[in-house]
Amino acid sequence: MQDRQEFIDFILDHYENPRHHGALENPDVVMRGGNPGCGDLVTLYLRLDEDERVVDASFEGDGCTISQAAASIVTEKVIGKTLAEVAALGHEVVIDDMGREVVSNRLRCATLALNTVQAAEKKYRAGQAAKSASEATVENF
Amino acid sequence: MSTHTGYARADALVETGWLAEHLNDPNIRVVESDEDILLYDQGHIPGAVMVDWVADLNDRVRRDYLGREGFEQLCSKNGIGNDTTVIFYGDKNNWWACYAFWVFQLFGHPNAKILNGGRKKWMDEKRELTKNKPGHPAASYKAQERADYKIRAFRDQVMQHVLTKGPLVDVRSPAEYTGELLHMEAYPQEGALRGGHIPGAKSIPWGKAVKEDGTFKSVEELRELYESQNKLSADQNVIAYCRIGERSSHTWFVLTYLLGYPNVRNYDGSWTEWGNLVGAPIEKP
Repeated sequence: MQDRQEFIDFILDHYENPRHHGALENPDVVMRGGNPGCGDLVTLYLRLDEDERVVDASFEGDGCTISQAAASIVTEKVIGKTLAEVAALGHEVVIDDMGREVVSNRLRCATLALNTVQAAEKKYRAGQAAKSASEATVENF
Repeated sequence: MSTHTGYARADALVETGWLAEHLNDPNIRVVESDEDILLYDQGHIPGAVMVDWVADLNDRVRRDYLGREGFEQLCSKNGIGNDTTVIFYGDKNNWWACYAFWVFQLFGHPNAKILNGGRKKWMDEKRELTKNKPGHPAASYKAQERADYKIRAFRDQVMQHVLTKGPLVDVRSPAEYTGELLHMEAYPQEGALRGGHIPGAKSIPWGKAVKEDGTFKSVEELRELYESQNKLSADQNVIAYCRIGERSSHTWFVLTYLLGYPNVRNYDGSWTEWGNLVGAPIEKP
């Protein structure tokens, strides 16, 4: 079982060395999510194959350590999954990795990226997906 | 402690250089309060304890602050006694440090100060940080009952202020003040269903009170901002608000301690209450 410091080190690693960071070229979906509580912002980019499987994902953002690290973690989680599988992800997939006790007082920050990518799935289904950051409005979570 | 002259309560501020020389003073307790909860773990001022507004200052069930017993426990476990000088600092130009300072004043803790420039200035000056958690022995703390009426405003008081055209200060960004952030009513912003501001409120964003390095502007600059430009004065009952009261606690500190206004209250219900309140009047320019 990981201790608190191990969870913190894990979060800090994702914050300081974010995976899949930056805009994707030719994304199929772009979604921006904001946390009005504290100014965290993330933009998630997804590229899909013909089976609606996420073949690439990335993020950009600005905000607290937890929100940005969570975005890095989420991009790793969604690559290889179908949109249906992404939609079915529960918050625990991020919270458990980050340490529930560590993020318990900032759950909105921890779940911002996952909420954003799941909102992206809904937009895609509705045929309303933005294809660029400039097109995408900010959903608040 | 503070290098600025002219502040009404210059002793409410300490400078980074002064604090660096007094870190081992047993009568001082440094408290870090941040929006980014993991900053403390990444490194904090030696000896500092963390007080988190979510975990430590808020009631867990109702939208309110901790009670007397909880405050006593909070102080005790952090080695804060009734005579301890508590020095608050944090990220975001000391928003949350001012918020924690304000909550401590609900209980009338007499010796409280803000570190001018906060966490950013301390780090910009490459001063010592540590990851070591301090092991302060528990202290005995006897708290007063909360005296909210002195520095906290509630919804009905604000409504009365609107009716009597009392001075209200909206410290949010201009786009929040105008309601511009709320484009479509189907997308709730800031947790509020409506955008705009409380009728009669002046827009004086909190950030206008600080310099680029996060330290407070001079008393002359503050008087120019609040008095010359915005016609506030020390004989008024001023109410400041933002979204949940954290940015407005920063302005409350400026008006109360730096300009010496005796009647300033923080409306912590702020826009998350007013903007969701059925029937509350809202103004948009």
